[in-house]
Amino acid sequence: MKKLFATGLAAAALAASPALADFPEDGPISFVIPYSPGGGFDTIVRQFAPALGEAMGATVVPENISGAGGTRGAQSVFRADPDGYTIGIFNIPGFTVNEVLGRDQGFALSEVTWLANLAIARYALAVPASSDINSVEDLCAGDDPVKFSDTGATSTASVTTRIAMSIIGCDIIDVTGYSGSNDAMIAVISGEVDATIKPISSLAKYLEGSGSGDLKLILTLSAGELVEGVQNATDIGYPQLANFTLARVIGGPPGMPAEVVSALEEGLRAAGESEAVTSWAEGAGVDLEFMGAADTTAMMNELSTFYQQYADIVAVEQ
Amino acid sequence: MGLDALLEAFLAVLNGGSFLYLMTGVLLGLTFGVIPGLGGTTALALLIPVTYTLNPLNAMYLAGGVMGATSFGGSISAILLNTPGTAPNAATTFDGYPLARQGKAGLAIGAAATASALGGLIGLFTLLLFIPVAREVVLSFGSSEFFLLTVLGLAAIAVSVKGKLLRGLIAACIGLLIAFTGANQFTGDTRFTGGIDYLWDGIPLVPALTGLFAISQMIELALKGGSVAEEGGTGEALKMKITGVGAGILSVFRHWTVLLRGSIIGTVIGAVPGLGGTVAAFLSYSSTAQTAKDRDTFGTGNIKGVIAPESANNAKDGGSLIPTVAFGIPGSAETAIFLAILVLHGMEPGPTILLQHEKEVYGLIVALTVSAVAASVIGLLLSRVLVLITRIDVNIVVPVVVLLSLTGVYVLEGRMADVLLAVAMGIFGYLMIRFDYPRLTLVIAFVLGETAERSFHQVRLISDGEVFGYMVGRPISIILMVAIVITFLLPTMRSVLGRRERMRG
Repeated sequence: MKKLFATGLAAAALAASPALADFPEDGPISFVIPYSPGGGFDTIVRQFAPALGEAMGATVVPENISGAGGTRGAQSVFRADPDGYTIGIFNIPGFTVNEVLGRDQGFALSEVTWLANLAIARYALAVPASSDINSVEDLCAGDDPVKFSDTGATSTASVTTRIAMSIIGCDIIDVTGYSGSNDAMIAVISGEVDATIKPISSLAKYLEGSGSGDLKLILTLSAGELVEGVQNATDIGYPQLANFTLARVIGGPPGMPAEVVSALEEGLRAAGESEAVTSWAEGAGVDLEFMGAADTTAMMNELSTFYQQYADIVAVEQ
Repeated sequence: MGLDALLEAFLAVLNGGSFLYLMTGVLLGLTFGVIPGLGGTTALALLIPVTYTLNPLNAMYLAGGVMGATSFGGSISAILLNTPGTAPNAATTFDGYPLARQGKAGLAIGAAATASALGGLIGLFTLLLFIPVAREVVLSFGSSEFFLLTVLGLAAIAVSVKGKLLRGLIAACIGLLIAFTGANQFTGDTRFTGGIDYLWDGIPLVPALTGLFAISQMIELALKGGSVAEEGGTGEALKMKITGVGAGILSVFRHWTVLLRGSIIGTVIGAVPGLGGTVAAFLSYSSTAQTAKDRDTFGTGNIKGVIAPESANNAKDGGSLIPTVAFGIPGSAETAIFLAILVLHGMEPGPTILLQHEKEVYGLIVALTVSAVAASVIGLLLSRVLVLITRIDVNIVVPVVVLLSLTGVYVLEGRMADVLLAVAMGIFGYLMIRFDYPRLTLVIAFVLGETAERSFHQVRLISDGEVFGYMVGRPISIILMVAIVITFLLPTMRSVLGRRERMRG
């Protein structure tokens, strides 16, 4: 009886809003990128947009709305009509960290309608290939704090570095201010700093085999073995380090109707499996890892809880 | 391998379709360069989405054409309108505009065109020489050297403002204040934002510079009325004829040391991420003006004052590719966009960029080379027409320039707040002109401030607080420290020597 009632209600809702049933036939879908053209967020959206359009039979227009550390673009998605015609890519866990710090970003992550996660990058700890250090234990054995390199203090990599090393119980100084993650990795090669934690896909170009061979990995922040012969989080007894990832999460305004969510979710899934996107990802070293709306929402909640525990480490004073 | 690849790239560019992309880039670059407020970064940023549909090599030709042509384009408006077309041309106005008002615009444009083309070629030639050791060059420039270079730039401000030292320093301090607005890289806290979200990322460079250089000059022109060529002209009207172009071209060869010095400064500064053409041109101008025998004539129409900044700001393109070929990292805003285009095409630039993407890199180098020369030739051919701008009533020039530059500011990021910032900076810039405060000093401090703060913090952390001890352990840092001391003491030493000579005489 209850089930019947629910079905009836859903049918009534569908009948009452015929426009939604037609989604996405009303016009182009605007895909907001909260940063300027050319970066990682921009690139993945521009690769997905045509495939998503094809999968959904609609035009998908990438739109760069940059500024205020990405919050301006996220705000514009948050404030848009929840009709499915405005979606955006979110900087996760960057925005999560901001929220943990109590910064007013003009939107609440818990209210965003999460649609999917497109890719996940995992982190690794790298040192110069020529150094004698071969494990985290070696690295932290000295009396002086270990120096790491990062871009900004609020960057995901810097937050990851400070929390991860504090979990391990290793005294560090995180030297921030490098212009980009490449500059931060070069600082390790030139010997300005001792080590750096970066996504494996970014480090690959400096590693033996996949790149120039200037750096070597001594730890991957993953639950199982990710790179042959390199220790992972479980090996060193801190499995919780596997929580640190860099996600490519897609969301929309609060209160999007379920059928629009599932249409977009399926569209994004199909786009992620398309030939154009998979071949691009392979060349660019991007790890596609699709998660649907429900899984993404669960992941977002977990991340908030996870970072909340380390709120005092996230806030830096130097 | 380098030479073969280069030759191949040259032959590839002669292919009809590719050449068309390159020349389109050159024309676009010239146009964006000439229009105050629209520069190479804007042109390239607008092109990114367009290049998505091109093959990577054609995208490189288009981008290279734009990069190589904008700075010469910008010198035309600097000379004719006293308004730098792009920020790096700001130093060109000091002597270029006085020359134009003396009726020697042809001389100035001829010299600017030749210095730009040759400076560009020297910069690229240096790049080719340095490719085998680019890695070592990049690795030997660390936070310590970046910091000292910014100090050198700030020190040059103090010696460049003859007779207006206090005003120059006030302007520089304001520049530093502007530079420190926004999120602190070290704590993530925001500074001087007054709760305005817009200021989180700091004051953006392009709108601020457009306001300070272009809008302010247009306010000045509008209030004076008439036309540029008549401005300040008395009696025997200062007719702007394009004569002396040939003499201008020759002057560059006569002052080849100025050209060489400018090109070297440009290449070095270009290789340092974050400093850019404005600083390169300024350092080249101020060091030439400081060491020249006829230094008193600088600022009144000395042709060397045109050659020095123009050679530097084109040579910087070659220099900015040194970090790119070594590690796949950008040395300038333009090379950052070049790398973004590679990423967009599914390539991942890194330390093996030359091995993996040789074609694209050499394609860009060749495009830059051809563009540097082509832009100058086209500019010279058009100069007779362009100079007519100075005869047009300012009531027509001003609205057109203001409209175009504000549109450019808006288009770059699509933010209305940028336009408001440009207007506010324009009014501020006009007040600076009106009360005789040097605007370039402010801009140099503004550009250097962020890198200076950032790299100082880094050195402090890396050296465990022993900043000076760490610096003297690094050879390049020592050279830079000596240069800073000389820059500081040069004016004093000169006046002491001068006094002694007078006493003897």
